[in-house]
Amino acid sequence: MEVNFRKIDIDAYDEDVLLETELYDADPRAPSQVIEETKAKAVAVRSSLNKGDITGALVTILDNPPYGPGVDEAKNLTLQTLVTVLNSTKSSDIPNVVKSLPLESQDILMKYLYKGMAMPGWGDVSGSVLLGWHEKLTEVAGTGSIVRAMTDRRLV
Amino acid sequence: MSAPEVYNISQGPITGHAFNADRTQVAVSLNSNDVQILSRSGNDWNTTETLAEHDKIITSIDWAPNSNRIVTSSQDRNAYVWQQTPDPQTGRTIWKPTLVLLRINRAATFVRWSPFEDKFAVASGARAIAICSFDPDNDWWVSRLLKKPIRSTVLTVDWHPNNVLLAAGSADMKARVFSAYIKDVDKRPAGSVWGEKLPFNTICGEYTSPSGGWVHAVGFSPSGDVLAFASHDSTISIVYPGGPAIYTIRSNSLPYVTLTWTAEEALVAAGHDCQPVLFTGNASGWKAAGSLDDTSAPKSAGGARSGFGGASPVGRLNSAAFNTFRNADSRGLGSPGGANSGGSGDTELFTVHQNTITSVRPYEGGPGAVTKVSTSGVDGKLVIWNVSPVGALTAKLNAVRIQ
Repeated sequence: MEVNFRKIDIDAYDEDVLLETELYDADPRAPSQVIEETKAKAVAVRSSLNKGDITGALVTILDNPPYGPGVDEAKNLTLQTLVTVLNSTKSSDIPNVVKSLPLESQDILMKYLYKGMAMPGWGDVSGSVLLGWHEKLTEVAGTGSIVRAMTDRRLV
Repeated sequence: MSAPEVYNISQGPITGHAFNADRTQVAVSLNSNDVQILSRSGNDWNTTETLAEHDKIITSIDWAPNSNRIVTSSQDRNAYVWQQTPDPQTGRTIWKPTLVLLRINRAATFVRWSPFEDKFAVASGARAIAICSFDPDNDWWVSRLLKKPIRSTVLTVDWHPNNVLLAAGSADMKARVFSAYIKDVDKRPAGSVWGEKLPFNTICGEYTSPSGGWVHAVGFSPSGDVLAFASHDSTISIVYPGGPAIYTIRSNSLPYVTLTWTAEEALVAAGHDCQPVLFTGNASGWKAAGSLDDTSAPKSAGGARSGFGGASPVGRLNSAAFNTFRNADSRGLGSPGGANSGGSGDTELFTVHQNTITSVRPYEGGPGAVTKVSTSGVDGKLVIWNVSPVGALTAKLNAVRIQ
């Protein structure tokens, strides 16, 4: 029996199809601007880390993160920078750092934790470090933050 | 605060509930093709009538208090208006269905009478809302469709008190305000914060929560000047169109799927968290005031919980089952049902509702002064709650995050 018709992408023939990009507001920044900002943030994060200011480093890197299509380089750099911060934090410091983050940053941090867990072995990503942060973050921000990480279409 | 009235209606889910004007009867659908009308006798609700005409699952019910008509919507793409008339043969009063020509090709998902009860709105999966009005010449209900710019299934609607504006929440993550003005039915509405000229299908506003999510519930404030919506990102957003300001309250628990305003500065929302939560605020800011439920202890007598957990801050994880597994994990205590567990209460949540609340509606008090609300949900319970003054609740503010 002919079953190839099942593989036809019927959405391609639907003029009224709902596109992923219609579900969120596009980033107003140009891709080149995003990568510039991300590089500047990576530098700022390093200097914060040298001063031992973990919260400051996290707030910096989690502010206005790159999302949407065409900014993969900036996304990777952000994740890499964030993972450096996460890995260099003593586990006993995590609860206080998480508590001192603004609500918006907590939700964005949750998004990156899930992104990191989806990429085991990428760069310096360590599953056990991410799970430790995830546990502490969930205690503070609740399941609501996890739900927001799942619903938000502004993928980081 | 007095305890809520709890009625166990069914073992399975209650799709929706609608009380009649004097609250002596309630129409419910128990996840089936039929509507049951339950009448109150003492502390019980007994089925007195079954409305059977739909041939797929019913999705929503609304009972018009003044004209005493019921409207139902179903996955069979139809809506029926039910009216009490004498049976020509027996003379008994029966509920007679009238089919509504909806002209939609997907399931009808939600239905609500307009405040003047001369129109109703049916939300649907066909990316459209059918605004239905009665055509006396042909003796049937006709519909006009609100289509643009809806991009996905409409999940919920709510009428503005002026009988013309309609708010809708949709799976394309937007809450919108439309004009549902029908020339033959409505008088020209006075201008409001939503606009001055309002021909049919005018878009008066389009809003979304910052983190997206399907919009499960929408509601106009009693004055109609403020809009609230709940979306699947566990937030409630309150829109002041004149402001222009949108306040988004992030919950640290699971998403809300239904809401109702109790006063101009207060609303009750409920959902996957299994407990109704009161929110209060005004044009300068909003916050969660507290839960209407007392979640500090299990509700049934047999559900004594094991002595360790205490109230977990993590919303719905606050259950005996969760504590059993946590004890097994952290203390090496035995398997579920072991020495210290509470027998039958093992999976009991500490909330009155034992599963998602799918509908919250005003029960007592007029618009703007609601003193009691009713909820129904997936656990088959119908519960009537006192909406107490804010002061009594603030003390119970339990792990509800405020922004």
